[in-house]
Amino acid sequence: MIKAIGLMLGIVGFLWSPWAQAADFKFPSVNDWKQADNIQAFDSSTLYEYIDGGADLYLAYDFEELKVAEYQNDKKASVTVDVYRHRTPTHAFGIYSQERFPGANFIEVGVQGYQEKHALNFLSGNTYVKITSYDTGPEDQAVLLSFAKAVAGNLGEKGAFPSLLAAFPAEGKVKNSEKFMVRKFLGYPFLHSAFSADYEVSGKNFRLFIIEGKDQADCRDMMEKYLEQLGMKDKTVAEGQYTLSDAYHGEIDLHWRGARIWGILDLGDPGLRSKYSKLFEEELQKRK
Amino acid sequence: MNKQIGRRDFMKTTLAGCGGLFFLSSEAKGQETKIVDSRGKERKFVYRTLGRTGLKLPVINMGVMNSDNPNLIRAALDSGMVLLDTAHGYMGGRNEETIGSVIKGRPRDSYMIGSKVSLPQDRSTGLYLEGATMEEFLRKLDISLKRLGVDHVEILYHHGVSRKESVVHEPVLKAMEKAKKEGKIRFAGISTHMNETEVVHATVDSKFYDVILVAYNYQQKHLSEVRSAIARASQAGIGIVGMKAIRGGHRQTPSVQSAAAALKWVLQDPNVHTIVPGFTAFEEMETDLAVLENPNLTEDEQKALQKEASLTSLYCQGCRQCLNQCRNHLPIPDLMRAYMYTYDYRNLALAQDLVLSLNLASRACQDCSQCSVKCSVGFNVPAKIKDVVRLKDVPSEFIA
Repeated sequence: MIKAIGLMLGIVGFLWSPWAQAADFKFPSVNDWKQADNIQAFDSSTLYEYIDGGADLYLAYDFEELKVAEYQNDKKASVTVDVYRHRTPTHAFGIYSQERFPGANFIEVGVQGYQEKHALNFLSGNTYVKITSYDTGPEDQAVLLSFAKAVAGNLGEKGAFPSLLAAFPAEGKVKNSEKFMVRKFLGYPFLHSAFSADYEVSGKNFRLFIIEGKDQADCRDMMEKYLEQLGMKDKTVAEGQYTLSDAYHGEIDLHWRGARIWGILDLGDPGLRSKYSKLFEEELQKRK
Repeated sequence: MNKQIGRRDFMKTTLAGCGGLFFLSSEAKGQETKIVDSRGKERKFVYRTLGRTGLKLPVINMGVMNSDNPNLIRAALDSGMVLLDTAHGYMGGRNEETIGSVIKGRPRDSYMIGSKVSLPQDRSTGLYLEGATMEEFLRKLDISLKRLGVDHVEILYHHGVSRKESVVHEPVLKAMEKAKKEGKIRFAGISTHMNETEVVHATVDSKFYDVILVAYNYQQKHLSEVRSAIARASQAGIGIVGMKAIRGGHRQTPSVQSAAAALKWVLQDPNVHTIVPGFTAFEEMETDLAVLENPNLTEDEQKALQKEASLTSLYCQGCRQCLNQCRNHLPIPDLMRAYMYTYDYRNLALAQDLVLSLNLASRACQDCSQCSVKCSVGFNVPAKIKDVVRLKDVPSEFIA
């Protein structure tokens, strides 16, 4: 009986299983490099074997599968290509954004990539690709780039950054500081995923953020729980602007309208807060 | 040979069957209680000494690994935690950078940093590859110090070691020695989350390291071996930092019902000096702080832990002790995973993919009259293998 159930569930499972799509990606051939026969594959239950505790973060971003290929050349230099596939491009962007340094050496590959000595990472569609090299000598950066281009070519449609990122006002924004946090935004389990970007204006560093709820009711629920957290359980919850005093985060300007909650963190200057609230709202209005 | 695991056998092979061994009662040597200003509130926290390092630490500190929230790290320090555990590779380096932004301007003696550096390893053997050099280790350390904005860390771990040979990898030892001489690290540590027993014993034998960061939790099936190894290391003066107390990590189902109980369980071992659970929410931090005040298990928590510890024995825990026992060198942990996919996940397609990927001989596990494998949790390994390898012969179209 248990086997029959297993069989039925297996049939249903396989129809939507990412494993059915996994076969689509093929590691490329790269001139002068020999690919090892064995391609390793990891799923959510085995990712720990490859990246240990680091797996937790990838799993949070709806990781589905990792494929790893090793290459070697005649000089015994080696290159490892890790292709992490996540459920959606937004989730892939999320994990990429968690590891991206705003000051990195950015390159045009996939949606975006960056490279440093012995490492190149890039984002393409719902995949996050990490390429590492050993003993590649002075050619290191060129080698990494040629691998990145070859892998990107085989990944197909590269996609784009999440469209909501365009709503963050350009003035004062720290380039490439945008992030997608998939859960427990601000350290509160009741706040869902959020996009954020860092700002530096007149020597002041602060952060804008936006949470997209499922609908208005979802945002109401988040607002109610947040106010309760701040000891304001009795306050009437309605769409509009709030200035809240959070014991962990200090003063926060928060706006709730429809299925969106947005705000400003770490900015004490009321004038700047007001300016950026307005700027952000204008940009969001354009993208309703 | 096809005997199924009966309840008695099952109980015998699980921690629940070990009765009192599951819980310990002695108090750690040098344990003390300190009154601490915890965000403006006086709280009494339990402290222990980290072996011969002499560092006095609260018994719970922060595993920063998955946190990108500077205000959470700040709150942990302001609440009384002292040691921030991170690694060169966490979040591609952003983790150390975030810590750097928090500790900037704080008195250097108000916090401690434990970071980790790894070198390229063969993933299947755990042995080092050619690029695993002293220069590479030191290069990574320098980058970590820069990200953190400090001139030294209290503990630098040789990261993710799973083989005794790797414990004494000379380039790492030389790099650690050099870093110590130059004042970049105070104490040399080693971290292990796989094949922990072998690594801990080899670490003691090496007489090189001051601290061991080790996976240790009540669901480990090779728990008694890990516990003994930890005791030996502690008696040798090595500081013991526990990790994976809640999550379990490698191949373990996140079945923990009470995080507080799981933390307390590790702390009941007097040979563990502190633990570094990861947290990403303020409420999780508050749970940890409450345990820091009172790490004693309640009776209800003890019962719940025993029950959970028994349940996890239904599936392979990946101790890998079987790998060298099978005469035909079958990849037993992978086959047990396929078994789990079939009967736990109910995903035959996934199980079949895995079985086919193993390129097994046509009569895998059919030709031995007696099985040489002795599973550490008492699985009837040949029966499970014979069962699951049948998926090889099922046409994929039928499953899909």
